[in-house]
Parts: sequence; C-alpha cells; structure tokens
Amino acid sequence: MSTESGTAGTGTATRPAVRQRRPERADPGAAATAAHAVSDASDRGARIVAVVIALAWHLAIGLPALLGAWSRLAAPPVVAAGWLVTAAIGGAAGVRLLGGGLPPARRLAAALLVVDGTVFAAAGERQLFTTANWVWGGLAWFFLVVLWRRPLGWLLALLGAHAAIALAAVVLHDATAPADLSRYAMYVYGTSSLPVAVFAGAAAIAALARDRAGTAAAALVVAAERDAAERARRDRQARLALVSGTAKEVLAALAAGDADPADPAVRHRALLAAARLRRLIAESDDVPDPLLHELRAAADLAERNGLPIALVALGAPPELPVEVRRRLADPPTAALAGARGWARLTVVAGPDEVVVSLVTPDHDGPDATGPPGGHGDGPVEHLHERDGEIRWTQTRWRRT
Amino acid sequence: MDADPVAEDVTGAQPVGVAIVDDHPVVIDGVRAWLAGEPGLRVLATGDDPDVVLRAAPDAEVVLLDLRLHGRMVLDKLAELSAAGRRVVVYSEHTDPETMLAALDAGAVAFLAKHEGREHCVATVLAAANDRPYVPPALAGALVGDPRPDRPALSDKEREALLLWFQSMSKASVARRMRISEHTVKQYVDRARIKYTRAGRPAATKAALLARAIEDGLVRPEDIGIYRSQASADRPTP
Repeated sequence: MSTESGTAGTGTATRPAVRQRRPERADPGAAATAAHAVSDASDRGARIVAVVIALAWHLAIGLPALLGAWSRLAAPPVVAAGWLVTAAIGGAAGVRLLGGGLPPARRLAAALLVVDGTVFAAAGERQLFTTANWVWGGLAWFFLVVLWRRPLGWLLALLGAHAAIALAAVVLHDATAPADLSRYAMYVYGTSSLPVAVFAGAAAIAALARDRAGTAAAALVVAAERDAAERARRDRQARLALVSGTAKEVLAALAAGDADPADPAVRHRALLAAARLRRLIAESDDVPDPLLHELRAAADLAERNGLPIALVALGAPPELPVEVRRRLADPPTAALAGARGWARLTVVAGPDEVVVSLVTPDHDGPDATGPPGGHGDGPVEHLHERDGEIRWTQTRWRRT
Repeated sequence: MDADPVAEDVTGAQPVGVAIVDDHPVVIDGVRAWLAGEPGLRVLATGDDPDVVLRAAPDAEVVLLDLRLHGRMVLDKLAELSAAGRRVVVYSEHTDPETMLAALDAGAVAFLAKHEGREHCVATVLAAANDRPYVPPALAGALVGDPRPDRPALSDKEREALLLWFQSMSKASVARRMRISEHTVKQYVDRARIKYTRAGRPAATKAALLARAIEDGLVRPEDIGIYRSQASADRPTP
C-alpha cells in the first residue's frame, strides 16, 4: 500500500487522520487444534502397536496352547468361549481405536473381568499355571486396548482385580504351596509390568508430542505476526518516503516563495500532505485486519485522487464472515467514490458490534450509493442519509 | 463542526485566566491566537514548565497542558495539578484511547486532540472554567470504545450519542439521526463524561465536575452510584 503525490482539488477543510488499534489476533484456539492433531497422529502408532500385540498374542500363543491342552482342561468349551468373547472384545475395541475413537472402557473392562474369572474357574487346577490358562498372560494386553487414553490408575485397578481373581483361583484350587505362591507372584509381575510400561510410555509420548506441537504452533503464530508487522513497517516506511517527499515539495515551494500560501491550490496541497503524514504517523496497525485493510485501501485510493481523508479505527474487529465484512465495507467504499471536499471514515469495533461510518460534506451531486439499504440486510444494518450539511453512510453489524 | 457556546456565565464577567504549557513555541503562539479571538478568555502565562508557568500566573483558572513535554509524558504532573484543584485541559497529539482515558483518570477536566480546531479549543476552555464537561469528538471515540472491564456503565442513548458525535462531528446531524434536540444530544454526551469522574483516583477537579453536574441537574447522584451522604452537603440536589 502506498500513496503517491496528491493532486490539487477543491477541498477547503480537513479532518484529523488517526489510526488506533491494538494487535490481539494471536489465535490460541488454532494452535491448540494443531497441537491436538499432532498428538493424535503420534498416538495412532501406539494404538496400532497395542492392538497388534493383544490380538497376535491371543492368536499365536493363547489359541495353540488352548487347543493343545483341550483334553486336560476342566471345562474346555467354557475356556474356549472365553477366548472367543475376548477376541470379539479385542476386535471391536481395536476397530474403534484405529478409527480414532475410544472404546467404552467400563463396560468392556467389566466383560473382560467376567471372562477372567470364568476362565480361571474353568481351566482347572492342573492347567492353572500353564499357557492353556491363556488369561494369565494374554488378558493384560486387552486391558491396555480397552482402557486406551484413560488414566493410568484405571489400568492399575484392572490389573489389581486381575491379580485378585488369580489369587482367588490359586487359593480355591488349593495351590498354596510356597512354590505356587511365588509362581503366582512371578506371573502377576511378569504379565503386568510390560503392559503398564507400554501404556504409560504411550501416554507420556502423546503428552510430549502435544506439548511440542503446541510450542511449535505458538512459535508459528509469533513468526507470522512478526512477518506481518515487518511487512506493515516496510509498507509504512515506503509510504513515509513518498509522503514526506510531497510535504517537502510543498514546504520548499513555500520557503522559496514559489508558492503563495493564499492560493487555494497550494493550501489544498499542504492540507493533503499534512493529513497523510498524520495518518501515517498515527497508524499503529501491526497485525492486519481484513476489514480495516479493505477500508484503508479505499482511503488510500481516495487520497490519491486528492481527497483529504481521516481514517480513525477504535478497537479490534472480531473475526467476521466475508459476507458480513463485504456488507460493512462496500457502502462506505462506494460512498467514498462520490465524496467531495473531505471525508471522515471511522470504525468502532468491539467483540459484539462493529460500526463503520463515512461522513463527507453534502453536495448537489447524486448519491454514489443509491438509496439506503434499509434494515433487511441480515445482521448488517445500512443507513445512508444527507441533511444538507453532511452525507452520512453508516453500516453496523451486531452479533445476533 | 459545532461547538456549543457555554460562555453565558462568563460574558460580562471577568475574563477567564488561561495558562498554556507547551514545549513548542509555535503551538503556544497558535493557541494564544485562537483564544485571543474570544473576549471571555485571557492568556496569563505561557511556557514549557508547568511549575514556572503557574508561579507566573497563580490565578490561572484553566491550564492548557501539552501531555508530552521535552519527550516525556507528564501524566504524573497532570495528576498532581488535578489533585491540587487545577483545572487542566490536556492538549495533545497523542490521541490513542488509552492515553485519553489515562488523562481523564488522572483528573484532566477535558482532553483536546491537537488536530481539533479552534471552536473545540475555545469551547473546552470555557466549559472547563465553569467545571462543566466538554467532550470533543476524539474523546467521545475513546469513551465509546473504552474496552476496560471496569469502565463506567453508559446507557444505550449515551453510547449512541457518543458514537454518532464521534462519527459525524456534528451535533445537529446527531440530533436529526436520533430524533432529539441538539441540547439533548449534548446532555447525553456530557452525562457519559460525568460518569467518568468516578473512574481512576479521586481528584479535586473530578469532584468539582461532578458537583457542578449535579447542581445543573445533568445527573442525579443515584445515577452514578453516589449516595446522598457522599455528595457535598452544601449543594442542593435537584
């Protein structure tokens, strides 16, 4: 955006040109969403690993052992039924996990515990500590799958229940010799520690990834703002160079006596240069807002055509749909085309209301905007009136 | 651009003594020239140091103070003068809303942007001399756009009057738009300003503005959360 030297017009008055705005457009919501996406992506790998381990163990170790020891089991069909139910639970939970969702943890965990108790009872005393009693080693991986992304405490509680069921079975099958009890302890430790480690590790990695992604996204926002600010600064400097050139020309001509301060054309040039300088100096727009950007572009254009214009913006507009922005900016922009003498363009913005107003001196020419749009413009109201003194175009958006 | 004449109290009486504090001689000369055209005003002293100027003119009723003197914002000096009861009209090119609101909070009777012309300047000084508010358009913008959560609560009409006055800089046009009289427009705008006497730290000038507004019937004590017992006892409330 740059302005070039103005042409003399017919204006006789000017209005102040001030721009005020605080940058506040860092979007923490978007950064959080991005962080979430990254942590989800890294979690997906861990989900696949957990589902594959559970089902592979179930098929490759549990099933052969079950079939191999079929005749030696107390109630083989019950153990087999438990195996099938667990496979179904694991399959369903796995599908849900890989689809990005989470399985219904409580119900599935309860079902697994029922299977746990039933299989321990149906395996019988002789197969208690063999791989045919597949719930010993294999079930913990299914706990992992159904409790994915839930608090670690839930998994520990479930493993505790699993250990309690096993202990009850050991006691009820009367396998309470010291060797049996130490075997029991070894089994509990051996079958629980690895799933707990995988579960906690996956949670930690997901949290870490989320943190890192959050930091990266925040850094990106900062970098984008810095770029925008740098661009705005360069724009401003370029405009300042042009505008000060214009001002210097006028001042030099006045100092050298080549220009007569009483000449309306000279006064208009001085006025225009001053208005531009003032607007430029007061401009503190570090983060571009699309609405203000559009209005500023319209103001620049009018200024280039020799119209002294003030653009005063108070507050920061919220994110607005393109349609709303268009309805806010179009009428004043159109009116600006027919403005004569001077123009005052103001924007007052809050989180729930944005009002744009253009005031110019009234003249005999036709309205550039046509008749007022009335109130039928949805959330944007458009008023246009002329009272012999001024022409006043106002658009106003209110959050509904 | 219409400035409401509020000179009825001073015409015929002693002219109001004004002190101008600015570090740019060209501004002092310009403002002096503006005020010279107004018989109700007389410039008593000028300079770039508030203490020196006020020693030279201890009776000045209104001080026009440039908020930035020798590269430094003098909000602290403003607060000191206001606390001592000096009616200070801040006169500055720093027209961001934060600065304007900070000046009001510090006790300035009015805030005038340097680009606002002679009419506003004269009207502001005359109003200030009588402890009456005057809200030029730039200040109206700062009030209507005040984002602070503890800002004074303005009525819908007060907000609308401030907004339209800021936009159009013509009270006649605002009156037509709102279908009320110009006098009522000014009342809404002034009432909004008076509500700001309750913001920031207390100052003698704020109390004086508020007391005069109550005396004029512009606001009622209960409108701005003041109990009768806290209003000055010797002033009858309407």
